[in-house]
Amino acid sequence: MICGAAAITGLVFSAPALAGGVTAGTLIENTAVASYDDGAGARTINSNTVTVRVDELLDVTLTSQDPGPINTRPGDAVLTFELTNQGNGPEAFTLLANPAVAGNDFDVVVRSIAIDSNGNGVYDAGVDEILTAPQTTAILAPDTVLTVFVLVTVPDGASDRQTSSVDLTAEAVTGSGAPGTVFAGAGVDGGDAIVGTTGALATARGQLVVGVANVELVKSVVLRDPFGGTSAVPGTVATFTILARISGSGTINDLLVTDAIPDGTTYVPGTLALDSAALSDAEDGDAGAASDAAGITVNLGDVTADATASVTFDVVID
Amino acid sequence: MKLFTKMTIALAASALALPGMSVAAQAAASPIALVGDVKAEKVITAPDGTERTELVAPTAIIPGDRLIFATAYAHGGDEAVNNFVVTNPLPAAVRLAPDADPALEVSVDGGKSWGVLAALTISGSDGAARPAAHADVTHVRWVLASIAPGAKGRLTYPAIIR
Repeated sequence: MICGAAAITGLVFSAPALAGGVTAGTLIENTAVASYDDGAGARTINSNTVTVRVDELLDVTLTSQDPGPINTRPGDAVLTFELTNQGNGPEAFTLLANPAVAGNDFDVVVRSIAIDSNGNGVYDAGVDEILTAPQTTAILAPDTVLTVFVLVTVPDGASDRQTSSVDLTAEAVTGSGAPGTVFAGAGVDGGDAIVGTTGALATARGQLVVGVANVELVKSVVLRDPFGGTSAVPGTVATFTILARISGSGTINDLLVTDAIPDGTTYVPGTLALDSAALSDAEDGDAGAASDAAGITVNLGDVTADATASVTFDVVID
Repeated sequence: MKLFTKMTIALAASALALPGMSVAAQAAASPIALVGDVKAEKVITAPDGTERTELVAPTAIIPGDRLIFATAYAHGGDEAVNNFVVTNPLPAAVRLAPDADPALEVSVDGGKSWGVLAALTISGSDGAARPAAHADVTHVRWVLASIAPGAKGRLTYPAIIR
């Protein structure tokens, strides 16, 4: 039947498909209807309506959003977590970050906990809300997912390849405990709040690994005199090599190699090179610049360990 | 102690207003009384570790809990009634429990067509028909050909909060 099929497709359950089930405070009302024939005709009666209110389920999950240990240097770092209200009622959660985890090579200082106010998944200073003590989220509707940042400072003493963990805990403000624990009257609309399978408490671990890179510069010179020898006389060409060695782990940012042209010598135009590739003397688009007055400058940019770079240039003895 | 905030029993006019009714109204009053109630099934763990299931007043009810909805009927008249059908729409917030009597007559289309669950199909989100599941049930009903004066009974179905 066409009309019957149309009616069936219009039949939709109003119960929302939430992770935590039917929303807290929902009234479940049940009424039966009886129809019968008592000889005088068909009759219909209703039963009384029984009503049960769905109470509040307290459940929370927390996961680290970092793909692995955060590579960091001594200084500021950010750990990212995701909190989900798995319960069926509106609930706020208290957050606690513990930087003293067994097995840490060093402990970070937790500066603050922030909420990803603009929802872009990245901590934005001055934009994302910093929670004040006691660090507590806003009241979150069921199924709400919140990104949480833990802002930490890695101490100066932390050395290359050392690791540290931070445990973040989220606890339902109404309470936590063994599954089934009842907080009478603490739920939605004066109903009860009941601890779910998560215990209304969740902990997730964020990890950091320190990468400290070292730069070592080794300068050497080769002389070539006008007579095919290696004596330092007027007209001798001196080729300087500056070898930059970046060791350890991590990245050196904006590494700039500079050197002055020695007194009594003159820069040989067009001889500046990086790893044997020529660089122009002018301050332009390439990484190098050279002149008698200013000396040589080569911008190596961001260099990740382990790496080496070789800068060469010629001067002639006056 | 939370019984009154948990469970409101609003007796329908047919059951509650009987004593105060006029003679004319009484003539039209139903010889059959229907009284609904609901209990929660809770697993009680005894001190020795054994578990047993008890029916208790539905306090502290959360999704996943089991409820037993019951309708008691009693025939207070003096003549048998025929074609006695008790229909119970399922509240949207519950689904029929998987261990419900397989012989129970159910509907998955809002009470338009009826049968045992195993014989019913429903059109899925892709439009194709699939076997109906317990969660699809919208109504349950009990059909009794006749009930004699003084007869009474209790009709129940188990449900799980969605």
